[in-house]
Amino acid sequence: MINAVLVFNNAGQPRLTKFYTQLETSVQQRLISEIFTLVSNRPNSACNFLPLPPLLANSSKSSTPTTPHNDTPSLVTYRHYATLYFIIISTSTESPLALLDLIQVFVQALDGLFENVCELDLIFNFETLHATLGELIVGGVVVETQLDKVIEGVKAQGTVAKRPVNEGKSGMSFGGFGRGDGVWAGR
Amino acid sequence: MFEKSLYDLIRGLRNHKGSEREYISESIKECRKEIRSNDMDLKSTALMKLTYLEMFGHDMSWASFNVLEVMSSPKYRHKRTGYLAAVQSFRRDTEVLMLAENQLKKDISSPTPTVISLPLGAIPHVINPSMANSVLSDLLPRLTHSHAAIRKKTVVTLYRLALVYPETLRPAWPKIKERLQDDNEDPSVTAAIVNVVCELGWRRPQDFLPLAPRLFDLLVEGGNNWMAIKLIKLFATLTPLEPRLIKKLLPPLTKIIRETSAMSLLYECINGIIQGGILEAVEGTTEGEEVAKLCVGKLRGMMVIEGDANLKYVALLAFDKIVRSHPFFVSQQQDVILECIDDPDISIRMRALDLVVGMVNSDNLTAIVGRLMRQLRNAPVVSPADDPMIDRARMTEVVPYAGSDESDAEESLRPHEQRSDQPPPLPEDYRVNVIRRILDMCSRDTYSNISDFEWYIDVLIQLVRVSPATKAATTMEEEDDSEQPDDVGRAIGRELRNVTVRVRSVRSEAVDAAQSLVLVDKRDQMFPASGNGGQGVLEYAGWLVGEYASYLTKPEPVMTSLLHSSSLQLPSRTLAVYLQAFPKVFASIASNDQISWTPERKTLMSLLMSRIIYFLEPLSTHPNLEVQERAVEYLELMRLAAEAASGTETGAEHGEFTDPPLLLTQAIPALFSGAELNPVAPGAQRKVPVPDDLDLDTPINPNLQTLLSQAELEGFETDEDDVYAAYTEPIASYTGPPTTTSAAERLDVPHKEPASYQNATEEEYLDPDILARRKAERRERYKDDPFYIDPEADKGSGAVTPLGRIVREGNVEVDIDSIPIMDLDLENRAHPSSSEDLSRTRSPRRAPRRVEIIGDETLGPEEPSSSSREDIISPRLHSQTRPKKSLLEVDSSGLGSLSLDDDETSGRKLTKLDIERREQEEAEMKKALAEVERLRLEMQRASERLEAKGEAVVKKKKKKVRKAEMEGELEGNADANTAPAIVEGEAAPAKKKKKKKAKPEGAGAEEGEKADGEPEGAVKKKKKKRRTVVMDEGVPVAEE
Repeated sequence: MINAVLVFNNAGQPRLTKFYTQLETSVQQRLISEIFTLVSNRPNSACNFLPLPPLLANSSKSSTPTTPHNDTPSLVTYRHYATLYFIIISTSTESPLALLDLIQVFVQALDGLFENVCELDLIFNFETLHATLGELIVGGVVVETQLDKVIEGVKAQGTVAKRPVNEGKSGMSFGGFGRGDGVWAGR
Repeated sequence: MFEKSLYDLIRGLRNHKGSEREYISESIKECRKEIRSNDMDLKSTALMKLTYLEMFGHDMSWASFNVLEVMSSPKYRHKRTGYLAAVQSFRRDTEVLMLAENQLKKDISSPTPTVISLPLGAIPHVINPSMANSVLSDLLPRLTHSHAAIRKKTVVTLYRLALVYPETLRPAWPKIKERLQDDNEDPSVTAAIVNVVCELGWRRPQDFLPLAPRLFDLLVEGGNNWMAIKLIKLFATLTPLEPRLIKKLLPPLTKIIRETSAMSLLYECINGIIQGGILEAVEGTTEGEEVAKLCVGKLRGMMVIEGDANLKYVALLAFDKIVRSHPFFVSQQQDVILECIDDPDISIRMRALDLVVGMVNSDNLTAIVGRLMRQLRNAPVVSPADDPMIDRARMTEVVPYAGSDESDAEESLRPHEQRSDQPPPLPEDYRVNVIRRILDMCSRDTYSNISDFEWYIDVLIQLVRVSPATKAATTMEEEDDSEQPDDVGRAIGRELRNVTVRVRSVRSEAVDAAQSLVLVDKRDQMFPASGNGGQGVLEYAGWLVGEYASYLTKPEPVMTSLLHSSSLQLPSRTLAVYLQAFPKVFASIASNDQISWTPERKTLMSLLMSRIIYFLEPLSTHPNLEVQERAVEYLELMRLAAEAASGTETGAEHGEFTDPPLLLTQAIPALFSGAELNPVAPGAQRKVPVPDDLDLDTPINPNLQTLLSQAELEGFETDEDDVYAAYTEPIASYTGPPTTTSAAERLDVPHKEPASYQNATEEEYLDPDILARRKAERRERYKDDPFYIDPEADKGSGAVTPLGRIVREGNVEVDIDSIPIMDLDLENRAHPSSSEDLSRTRSPRRAPRRVEIIGDETLGPEEPSSSSREDIISPRLHSQTRPKKSLLEVDSSGLGSLSLDDDETSGRKLTKLDIERREQEEAEMKKALAEVERLRLEMQRASERLEAKGEAVVKKKKKKVRKAEMEGELEGNADANTAPAIVEGEAAPAKKKKKKKAKPEGAGAEEGEKADGEPEGAVKKKKKKRRTVVMDEGVPVAEE
């Protein structure tokens, strides 16, 4: 199952934190910064799987070879879009490649909701961000993977606010899922 | 004062660059005020802001009651904010959790789908065992809700319920199963159920076998790749239980592998075939070979595909799973896997490393170790600036101010991001990992893979130089008890000792290595230039030079190094070993009784002994007991010996033989010589029979108590305090004299990439001095080998063998007769056709030298269960390996004991675990009840205060309503509690069964038509009445 979904930007500032277990706030922050340290040192060509951060690594050794699965989070998957990192921490029952696709669906859904989504949209509409995640994953289990149904589910909860007008239109686009132009980030 | 929206807060944060801390604390202060307001809009906005700030680590646990207030607002917008805040901020110890229960139940029963979704999403985050039972009855009807979105979320929520309270799965499972079997069910719901079943499946696969046909159909129907992946994962856990499935699964799986366009599905198919043991099952058949070939071929394709690191990573994961069962398949891919050891990506390297350890054999060991060593040697050592620890410290400072503008984050990009031409600095734990793996690979099966032990010794020496510094724990106290199990220096030392003891033929080389490690003047050469890396090896090197002192080539310098003042600063463990070592070395120096006791010898010995005494004297008050005891022992011995030496008259000047003192030549050596030490099997000690006459009960000294108390009285009066302080004060660990190489010199050390990827040559991973020694040794060894081509002998004329040289130098008469003639013994070569034999015998240099490796000594037959050794006490190990729950782990072990087979339930006995859990729940419930009571009183007081103030009537009413609600809640909890409490007392299984049946109904309080005990029914009625009060207020509640 999925243990946590995190989104933070290139500077390590969280944009979304969702832990599917109850965790002390300070521990959450430590985990985020550990993962950020790991992820920010990786070149673009590197694979999208992280070694376990120290906080999680200590206890993962106890996995017994007799059972193929256990409850221990063992997989940290990430994707980097423009200014944001999307991270999923999961156990071995999830498929690593499928998780990468799941992140892609998440981002595409956000893109569909915000039209050319950028980090700013997510900052100012973090409730919608949570709602979108809530349509994809409930309690650590994936409930939906079809893009249109996710978007439909979020829209059913009310209108999705666009980014504030005076915050500038030159958003860093995820549209092509490429590297953005960095206009607003420098402001 | 005007109120800020979330938008204002974020903008404000961005505008207060540099002073975020003040701005945030100011904002939180405002929120504290706003959240107490009676205006629900204001309240919910404040909550939203707090939730936002919580993301950055600002505690909002104090607002948990307000969260509840906002959750109970009739407006969906507020509700959503409240639920989000609850999900993000409620923790296990949140007090108002009990109060949330009613709200959750109410919203689950709401007619509006979007409202139902809120509790469905929140329950997994906040649920606890007592709540689980109570919301179950509200959740179950939602499985048949008209909206597919609600149904699928309900399934997942029920799963999470079962995780905290497994019994809830019993009533839920038949309904979930029904959904799964329904062909007309929405595919999204089916997929969600498959996801849940996959999670449940690995815990109790046997319960899900009956579902196999339906799952199989779903897999064959195809369409949804996500679901297919999960189905395959599920089948992989089912096949070991039901071998017949394998035959059925194979065709669709191979079909998918051949046809699918989704790489993830392709990969999981292969993975499923591997994990489900399908490869083993079909082994030997043509079909099986085909499948294996297909899988391995595809995996290889993933490895070599250009530019996709992810595929490489997952392929390595898959290989790792078959390396134990099918080493042959994996070693076929050796070339691509070895490539990954040097991958720039550390994740891939780690995986490859895991894999390589599994596939090592005597043929590739040297090459693999060579590659790893080259990596360790060539990568720059992590500088403090790169140290992730420091980085982390920085990050925790920065993160809370997120929301600050990104521009300054860009300015402070850490410098190491710009250096990309160098090989990336290896993280320390990776270094340690690599070293451990190397030792692991080499020592496997008592060194069965190693043929050249001299090479291994050189590798060990080189490893010492590249070992990372150990964590700075150098204060005396810490070293005494913390064993520092992660010190690789000690691991290397253990290997060196092992080789020396077990392999006699290289003992002199190994002792040589130990000697050079111990020598102080060589220390900056043998150890890493910076840090205290590898120092742990000294403990073992010290033991070796003592135990095998007769092998030492330079005993005097070794003695000097042992007695060097820097030794005093070594960890006490090492120091204790040193103390044991130098009398042995001394004995080997002093014991020769063939040399006359001349005045020179007398002076030399006296000098040596006085140096030893000088070294030992301060140690006799060392705080470490082991060190102290040994120091005192040998101090006395040395004083005695010094007396004897000075008392013995020297012989006359002119060659008359005088016997040296017997104490030096006989007594002291006799202390250490005797039987040779051999490796002993771990269990051997236990098998030594206890002698009959061993009396452990008689006290050795009947007056021990008095003696001890006397010693206590006298002992500490003396002025020992500063001595003690001198030892206990932390001393900077000895790191060798500062390196003298200039910075410029260090810069232009050429780190060339290997010319060949096939085989790492020794030049690439061993330091020049080790190489030089190796070469010299090699020359020596092959001096008389007529076929050996010495690469350095005469470079100008091309390499020639000694034989060739003789022939070429025509002036020398070739003595044909001196060339040894071997008998061609054709008959005796019985099996020349075996290709392996041939390849081994073809080249004379490859012929493995017979190396005798001494095995463990033991008494009697080998015991198979040597793992349960009682004679070896390892308390520290215990505390290390104690299974600890991982941070993010969701514990599903409770499901392991829950059988979904209905027939079993009646006969089930209460396991100890069950009882414990019940007791725990009961305690929890009691606590919760007290809590509710406390809160209720608090509320009551609050409302009374309000009334006293004479506030507006509306507000009063509101408060009252809440109070009423609270009371209803209290009642609800009370009767939920009575049921288990009653059952608790009864142990009879028959009654237990009854309870199980009753429970779900009992929890379904809304129905109210239960014909149970009268008083309970009364309570329920009362509760219902209270509920209606709430409805009066106009909250849309759907009563069924």
